[in-house]
Amino acid sequence: MKNYLVKDLMVPISEYAAVPVGTSLVEAIWVLERAQEVYTENKFQHRVILVFELDGHVVGKISQLRVLKALENEREFDNEIKEMRKFKFSEAFIAHIRDQFSSQKKIIKEEILREVAAKKVEEFMQTLTPGEYVSEDSAIDTAISKLVAGAHTSLLVTRDDEIVGIIRLADVFAALFHEIVSLEEGYPVFPSSPLGFKIPEVS
Amino acid sequence: MKVLRQLFKRIVQRVNINLRELNFDVSPFAVELIPLDQMSKFYAFYGITPDHPLDLHFEHSAIAGSYFLGKSRVRSSIVYKSDIRGDELKRKGSDVNFKKFILTLTKDEIIDIEDSILIKTLVHNYSHDPETPEKFFIKDTLAMDYANIHGSPSDGCFLGPFATVDLTTMRDCVIGAYSYVQAGEISHLKVDPGTIWVNSNNNFNFFYKYPEGTLEHYVSLSPDKVPWGILIDFIEERKSEFQRVFDYVNHEVIESIPKTASLDRYAVVLPVVTIADNVLVAQRAYIENSDLGKGANAQENCFIINSTLEGNNVTAHGAKIIEADLKSNVFVGFNSFLFGKKESRLTINEGCVIMPHTIVDIEVPLEIPPEHLVWGLVRNGEELAENSISLEKLSEIKSIFSQGKMCFEGNGAMFVGAFKERIHHILHANGAFYKNWENAGHAQKNQRLSLNTIQPFQFGVKEGMYPNIKIQP
Repeated sequence: MKNYLVKDLMVPISEYAAVPVGTSLVEAIWVLERAQEVYTENKFQHRVILVFELDGHVVGKISQLRVLKALENEREFDNEIKEMRKFKFSEAFIAHIRDQFSSQKKIIKEEILREVAAKKVEEFMQTLTPGEYVSEDSAIDTAISKLVAGAHTSLLVTRDDEIVGIIRLADVFAALFHEIVSLEEGYPVFPSSPLGFKIPEVS
Repeated sequence: MKVLRQLFKRIVQRVNINLRELNFDVSPFAVELIPLDQMSKFYAFYGITPDHPLDLHFEHSAIAGSYFLGKSRVRSSIVYKSDIRGDELKRKGSDVNFKKFILTLTKDEIIDIEDSILIKTLVHNYSHDPETPEKFFIKDTLAMDYANIHGSPSDGCFLGPFATVDLTTMRDCVIGAYSYVQAGEISHLKVDPGTIWVNSNNNFNFFYKYPEGTLEHYVSLSPDKVPWGILIDFIEERKSEFQRVFDYVNHEVIESIPKTASLDRYAVVLPVVTIADNVLVAQRAYIENSDLGKGANAQENCFIINSTLEGNNVTAHGAKIIEADLKSNVFVGFNSFLFGKKESRLTINEGCVIMPHTIVDIEVPLEIPPEHLVWGLVRNGEELAENSISLEKLSEIKSIFSQGKMCFEGNGAMFVGAFKERIHHILHANGAFYKNWENAGHAQKNQRLSLNTIQPFQFGVKEGMYPNIKIQP
């Protein structure tokens, strides 16, 4: 693998969809929609919304999965799952009661959608853990380790104490894939990544 | 009483240190729990029998109103109105089998209570911990009213009122009120009140939790209050009858008891009671106007009122049977509360297993079909349908099953088999199958038991404490 650094593959923070704490889910989705509209121009497909404090400090992120989780929002069910694990029930059993529960509860109902739309982002955002930060000067290997270890889809990129960007799993994978195919003679070498993201030249 | 107060404070601190990870503070419960001024009012007593070693050791402890049998040691502890029954402890020379290991005991097993507070608690059976086969330890533990520590060594634990831990080694655990745990080994676990959990690794796992808001009516616990609820009231209402049996040294003998049956002199028996062959009535059991058929037993803290038990019935520690008719071979688990009424009797047919900590509280007559397992809260036929299953159907379960709030995973046949085997073992141990001088159990052996009493300091800084005593043959 070429000596890529994290900053070579990151998306600058300024180009990312972000909302302050206190924003409702419906407002956050509007922000994401607007960001998607300019997708064709800057090639950055937004799947995550960042949540920041009023002082600009990023405190969490909301993925599409997180929004679906907010829709499901069955605290009682979550507790039941935790309890099942605590009392040594298998994942197969948990899947069984999850199915049972899902069959009893309809998620897509107007009242539930309205309730969720009014929720504040901080109620269901994913708070950031120490393993989700990576320095912009780190080698891409460090980012791969952190993505794999935490099963993250993106990492926040730091310069000193400041967050300057995001490095996404898809971009890291694209770069890696590009390298793999270029190793083998006879395999087609793509001029840019299959996802359309241009691999920057590295000196 | 200064020494007693210091001891109390020290034990509470030790329990709290053990439970710090669970962020559980026993202090508020303990303050109201222990009536220190009562500790000088009751004598302690111990059994002497040729069938069990006499080896008792009390040191720096208060043991008011408690009963001791077999080999036990109590150090720096408060044991109040509790039963420490060492009649099932392992004996020197016996083999302990665990997986591929066979360990021969080089000495008799001992119940070793240290730095603990046990209030109206039953300690029975033997240590099931293969790591300590010769020591059934209870250390840095606080057990509240009517808790059962049954074959369960304990280190750094809190047991709420009516909690039972059965055949399980526990370390740094909180067991909520009216919870039943049988899981082999647990540590750093907080179990909510009203949780019934029976787990045998890789074999089966049974779980039920009382629906929120339903248990409080029966037993409640909150900081700075003594436990309350119907179960507590029920016992309190009959307290004076126990006072009477404890006040007299020699009791009138009830002549109608067969020679093969045993009625403890510290049991309450109120007319009209009939007792058949091989019946065992343990101390602190309460029998009123009931028939106990051949081989039936009533263990410690049981109440059987206006009821009939046809025969070979197990009424486990703390179970209560009121206005009920039980056919033969019915098992009623620990602390179950079968609350029939005069106009709405409860009938339980042959071979039923009432899970530990089951509550049946009915206002219309209810009949439980034969060979059924019943658990949780049952107040009517609808709840019975939700909280019961035939043993045949349960035996067919191979992996995953849930019904109402009950969850089951594993091999149903093994679960049923384990229960049946244990019930048979209990009946055998209690002497239910005694015939022609064979299969003698507690019912027969207890007849060769005499009791001695010991008294606490009545005055001075040691008021309520007991002298250091060693009792050996």
